[in-house]
Amino acid sequence: MASTQDSNSAATMKKSKGKVNSTAEKEFVFEFRAGKHNCVLKVPLQFPVQENISDLHGRLMLLHKIPCYIENDLKTYLSNFIERETILDYDREAELSLQRLTTGDGDVNQLTNAWTRSYVETTLEHARPEEPCWDEDFADVYHELIHSPASDTLLNLEHNYFVSISELISERDMEIKKLQERQATEMDKVMHELGNTLSDQDVNAVASQHFDTQQVLENKWASELKQVTGIQKHEYQEWVISLHQDLQKSNSSQITEEIKVQPSQLLELEDSGARMFEEQPQLEESFTIHLGAQLKTMHNLRLVRADVLDFCKHRRHGSGGAKLRRLQTALSLYSSSLCGLVLLVDNRVNSYSGIKREFATVAKECTDFHFPFLEAQLDEVQQVLLYARAQRSSKQKEQPEIPRNGGDDKNKNVERNPSNILPGEFYISRHSNLSEVHVVFHLCVDDNVRSGNITARDPAIMGLRNILKVCCTHDITTVTVPLLLVHDMSEEMTIPWCLKRAELVFKCVKGFMMEMASWDGGISRTVQFLVPKKQENDPHILLIVPVSGRPHCTEEGGRSNSNSPHNPNKRSAYTAGLLECGSIESISEEMFYQLSNMLPQIFRVSSTLTLTSKH
Amino acid sequence: MRPLKDAQLGAFTFFASALPHDVCGSNGLPLTPNSIKILGRFQILKTITHPRLCQYVDISRGKHERLIVVAEHFESSLSDFQKQGKTASPEKVLQIAYEVLEGLEFMNKHGMVHRALSAHNVLMDCKGNVKLAKFGLYHMTDHGADVGFPTGYPSYLAPEVIAQGSFHRTDSSHDEAPLPSGPKTDVWSLGVLLFELCAGRRLLQNIDISERLKFILTLGCMDDIVTVLAEEHGCLDTIKELPENVLQLLRKCLTFLPSKRPTPAELLGDPVFDGVSCRYTPFQKPVSLFSSSLRCAHLELPEDISDLCKDDDNDYLSERAINEVYHLWCLAGGDLEKELTNKEIIQSKPPICTLANFVLEDGESFGQGRDRSFLLDDTTVTLSLCQLGNRLKDVAGEAYYPLLEDEQSSLPQSNSSNELSTAVTLPLIIRERDTEYQLIRIILFDRLLKAYPYKKNFVWKEARVDIPPLVRGLVWAALLGIEGDIQAKYESTDKDTPIPTDRQIEVDIPRCHQYDELLSSPQGHIKFRRVLKAWVVSHPDLVYWQGLDSLCAPFLYLNFNNEALAYACMSAFIPKYLYNFFLKDNSHVIQEYLTVFSQMIAFHDPELSNHLNEIGFIPDLYAIPWFLTMFTHVFPLHKIFHLWDTLLLGNSSFPFCIGVAILQQLRDRLLANGFNECILLFSDLPEIDIERCVRESINLFCWSPRSATYRQHAQPPKAAGDNGFGKAATYYTSDYQDMPKTDLSREPLALCDLKAEVSPRISAEDLIDLCELSLAGLTKRTKAGKPKIIAVDIRSVEDFSRGHISGSINIPFSTAFSPDGELVQCPATGILQNYRGRVIVIISHAMKSAAMFATHLVKVNFPRVCILDGGINKLKPTGLLTVPSPQI
Repeated sequence: MASTQDSNSAATMKKSKGKVNSTAEKEFVFEFRAGKHNCVLKVPLQFPVQENISDLHGRLMLLHKIPCYIENDLKTYLSNFIERETILDYDREAELSLQRLTTGDGDVNQLTNAWTRSYVETTLEHARPEEPCWDEDFADVYHELIHSPASDTLLNLEHNYFVSISELISERDMEIKKLQERQATEMDKVMHELGNTLSDQDVNAVASQHFDTQQVLENKWASELKQVTGIQKHEYQEWVISLHQDLQKSNSSQITEEIKVQPSQLLELEDSGARMFEEQPQLEESFTIHLGAQLKTMHNLRLVRADVLDFCKHRRHGSGGAKLRRLQTALSLYSSSLCGLVLLVDNRVNSYSGIKREFATVAKECTDFHFPFLEAQLDEVQQVLLYARAQRSSKQKEQPEIPRNGGDDKNKNVERNPSNILPGEFYISRHSNLSEVHVVFHLCVDDNVRSGNITARDPAIMGLRNILKVCCTHDITTVTVPLLLVHDMSEEMTIPWCLKRAELVFKCVKGFMMEMASWDGGISRTVQFLVPKKQENDPHILLIVPVSGRPHCTEEGGRSNSNSPHNPNKRSAYTAGLLECGSIESISEEMFYQLSNMLPQIFRVSSTLTLTSKH
Repeated sequence: MRPLKDAQLGAFTFFASALPHDVCGSNGLPLTPNSIKILGRFQILKTITHPRLCQYVDISRGKHERLIVVAEHFESSLSDFQKQGKTASPEKVLQIAYEVLEGLEFMNKHGMVHRALSAHNVLMDCKGNVKLAKFGLYHMTDHGADVGFPTGYPSYLAPEVIAQGSFHRTDSSHDEAPLPSGPKTDVWSLGVLLFELCAGRRLLQNIDISERLKFILTLGCMDDIVTVLAEEHGCLDTIKELPENVLQLLRKCLTFLPSKRPTPAELLGDPVFDGVSCRYTPFQKPVSLFSSSLRCAHLELPEDISDLCKDDDNDYLSERAINEVYHLWCLAGGDLEKELTNKEIIQSKPPICTLANFVLEDGESFGQGRDRSFLLDDTTVTLSLCQLGNRLKDVAGEAYYPLLEDEQSSLPQSNSSNELSTAVTLPLIIRERDTEYQLIRIILFDRLLKAYPYKKNFVWKEARVDIPPLVRGLVWAALLGIEGDIQAKYESTDKDTPIPTDRQIEVDIPRCHQYDELLSSPQGHIKFRRVLKAWVVSHPDLVYWQGLDSLCAPFLYLNFNNEALAYACMSAFIPKYLYNFFLKDNSHVIQEYLTVFSQMIAFHDPELSNHLNEIGFIPDLYAIPWFLTMFTHVFPLHKIFHLWDTLLLGNSSFPFCIGVAILQQLRDRLLANGFNECILLFSDLPEIDIERCVRESINLFCWSPRSATYRQHAQPPKAAGDNGFGKAATYYTSDYQDMPKTDLSREPLALCDLKAEVSPRISAEDLIDLCELSLAGLTKRTKAGKPKIIAVDIRSVEDFSRGHISGSINIPFSTAFSPDGELVQCPATGILQNYRGRVIVIISHAMKSAAMFATHLVKVNFPRVCILDGGINKLKPTGLLTVPSPQI
């Protein structure tokens, strides 16, 4: 045993990943005497040394059977060696970078500017002072007031404004209706004369003239509404601020009394809202689930058959706890438990057609006293969208080699019209005037969602994931998701289609919710799954599906009638509903219960609480 | 940890940088959030204890990657000097320099660099000694890589730090993080600091940051940096008047080239400190509980013992360790976020105001305004101890120093002891949140552990009441009987050389209790790997089975900073509860275990057992992960702790009772469901009320005769008297296997025979003990603690009359059951019905008929049925059989 050469031990030391760009191997040499022999231990070590010196030492002792009487010597030598060499490495690196500056390889200005920027952008000490933000001040004031005895007054004032807007809107509707009637009779007359005294051209001219008049009228009303809401908003905000100031100045109970008296005068006005919607019977079922392998987080799930806009519309004041709901929404507006809603939209950021138009109509029914009008918000989204596209394309030019899944055709799409959004992308609008929702996610979907074969990698699903992520980062604790990824049913959506789609969305959302636990540390949430319900008397109904499109529902219902677990009352309600609403395109009650049976299977709902006597 | 003394608790907060969107780790799993990385790396800082360094106490994660660090804190710092605009005397400067260097040198020894040295991070305690604060920031943020802000303050940055560049997250051109800084950068910062002290003014204060940094870089061309700086700041005269050794020190610190600049260790030995160094004794690390050296080796008692009590200022709380005080502060309602919010360090905007406008498909969001509340404000806020003081004002001084010699009085005699004894009866969850109760318990256990292993019995006794969470790691180690120099043993185990198991370990770790912040951090993974490898390497006869990772988790969590102890605990736990479970071929061990388990189910809950057997839902389908991991695979850590607090006090058959208790909690659902539903139910075990589970398993344990859980593959008896301080073996804690084997003990049984029997066998010993037919007439236990028992003799009437054990009833097998398996109505079976609920021991000639009889009884839902091992023949030699006097 003259010398002990260690060549293997270095192989075990892992190369650190990219963190330190230079690793060097150095040899540790240690000489010792064992009896009459002079021994030399040589160990190649990778610098910087990542592992624990005690472990390295223990391993060397074990591997080379080094006599124990030199154990301590070896340890001292080893740690001194490593310490010395590490310092040398530090010095070399440090001087290299200093040299780079003196030789002019590095730009001093660029360097110091980068430092300056990182200080200015990240530390309060060096950051530019903040300009006071009116929005946030108002938010604070409002949040304080709504949690005070003044909340009732605030709500009543808001309601008051709402009523006057409603009156205006019904007036508008009346006028438009009258115009339309007048035009219809006029058109009838014209049509009657067609071929006799008037030609096609004349008819067209009349039609276009009608259209123009209608446009003018609508514009007139639109601008009037806008003006009124603008005034309302201004008044309201001023009032809130002054009320707050008053309250602060004199903390006496007198003012509180005044505030309390006020609402009773307003009560009479409550029933005058003419355009409010009747409470529709909703089908809903709630579940409590525990997610997670060992540590479980409790969440609430709800399956609801309702129209997506039901969560936005205001119901008749005083009926069905509408006021409470209103208060609840107002109380939580600036809190950290917000409510969100996913609205499926097409690829254009506007409110001209379809569900977007309907939503805009609902959003205008009541003045938003806190956030900009929907149009203004959408305009801002447009701006941001263009900016985002510019950012992306410049980044992609920099790193063209990064492959994105299906990026090519998408890019083409973007190049065609950069102001359109793509499936899976979404924009967010904020509202204080909707009944149960503060935040609306406008998720872009394409016709693909109507087909039966979308997968978990579909953009719409990925969009849902990102929505849930935003929910995590911005404390949105209740979110409503259209379960079938459509807002209204059509012919091709058969029962198997619905079941398949529901299963996919349930499973994906479950996965995302489990993922969420790692994002936010497991906060209890409520997720509402929405299945479509369009009511006959809904004025916004655009699509009427022929009765032939739905026989499967009846069949299905009849077949599983016998083993249905639900009470007979519900069953009869279903049959009655079917008779009543021949043209409703919604999910049948039977379908609803199939879905509600599927949910606990996928989410492993803990069974209902069983109360037992002590045994 | 050190006592709090005159220090205070301080908290500061910062944000970890957010991860990029939708990026996966190399293993396909999601990336670990930076805050968790920091949290993991922070842990080691808790062990860095030095008189010149502020003790780190705790870190906690808030919403949105916020971190709050709690550490020892002092209100005064060197920036007080600067505010007053005074210069410090040369002696003071030397003293400060020396003390700072002491701290720096200690850090360097532990592989850490301060990097954020500045006037307000050099705190002064009440005696005017230096305490370095925020020294761990650079370490815990992985050299600044996990946070968005730069570490350090512009004026104090060393030139090489500036030259190596600042890494900015929005900078896409800089892909690699800046190089880590070495120990010498702190020496430069110290130089600047000392210069400021000498000059009585701050350096480079009035120019903007980039000019400042440029100026520092240009110092490289100067010959005498100290003079240049002095000229620049118009204090040349003051500097010139300094004594030579101070000037020398300044020059050494403010050496431009790192290679010429000394390290803190070199500077400490420098002659400039000749007059100062003699006043300081080198710091000696206190000896830990498990070490090879004597813990009392350095103990020196003063001549007059009363000297110790001199500085008695009645503030006993400040004599407690910092982490204890912090723990109690939290219990007394302390809320870090609230404290910081009150001081306006945390300012949060309503979330609805900070929403983004637009989000791309890959999750990148746009239109979100820069939120000022995310900027770094590293002001340290002092945590007020008033509330805690108020809570504890009624605790008498004696309570802080309980006397341990008298083992009779468990709790200190104070006026609040009445309250405490009522507190013991409260649920554990409430006790764990009771400030005063926890204080008393922590103090008691702290003292007991200091006296470990001498006070081992006392630890056992107190652990039966409860274990305070703060000291759980050490108490468990004490319960498992850990002794000796575990650190040396652990270090001498090769944890680095690759072994074939590595791949499996690598796969399992990222899936083991990852909801927990500590265990999911990269540091946690590294430690996991090392402890598991150490165990695998040091147990060559055993192998790594999946599940060992879960088993390791509670020990690692409790001893995160002491891998050696985690390893030692695990190595002691496995032979005790899972003997030979980790054999390469463990099927015979597991099969026997599961069979005994199903016998225990039949013993305690025949109805459930009948149902489960009927649908074929046998323990093999669900219970293997339960027992192989001792329930760590199915429960979250906080439940495991409560479960194991009791498990560690019981013997190796206690897990059976836990298993039965879990089944009983799910009883209704199991009874109502078929095979498929049961499989589904157990694939993801529903919430279990763990306190109820523990309570019920203790009850089940008390009802189980000891020999009923006999296993031939259990751990063989240990050599007697293996530990000097051996605790008195009690009925509950000692294993059946540990008892001396006699003729009356149970005989090993082939697995197939064991499987054939529905009810467990018990030994003749147990029967004698439980029926109190004792041989010598001495009963070991009082009657109250024993399960009630009835012996049923199923031999024919003739045999019975020839001799039977007293108190037994005779139900001849042939007459007992009707053809359809129902119990025949007769006086004897009537008696049996009356004794329903007692332990029923079936005695016969042949084991087969006894087993059959027992099976029938279980079928008709008789609980607690067992068979006498060896039958009546076992009892014959004992002479315990009696012949009844003939009835006339």
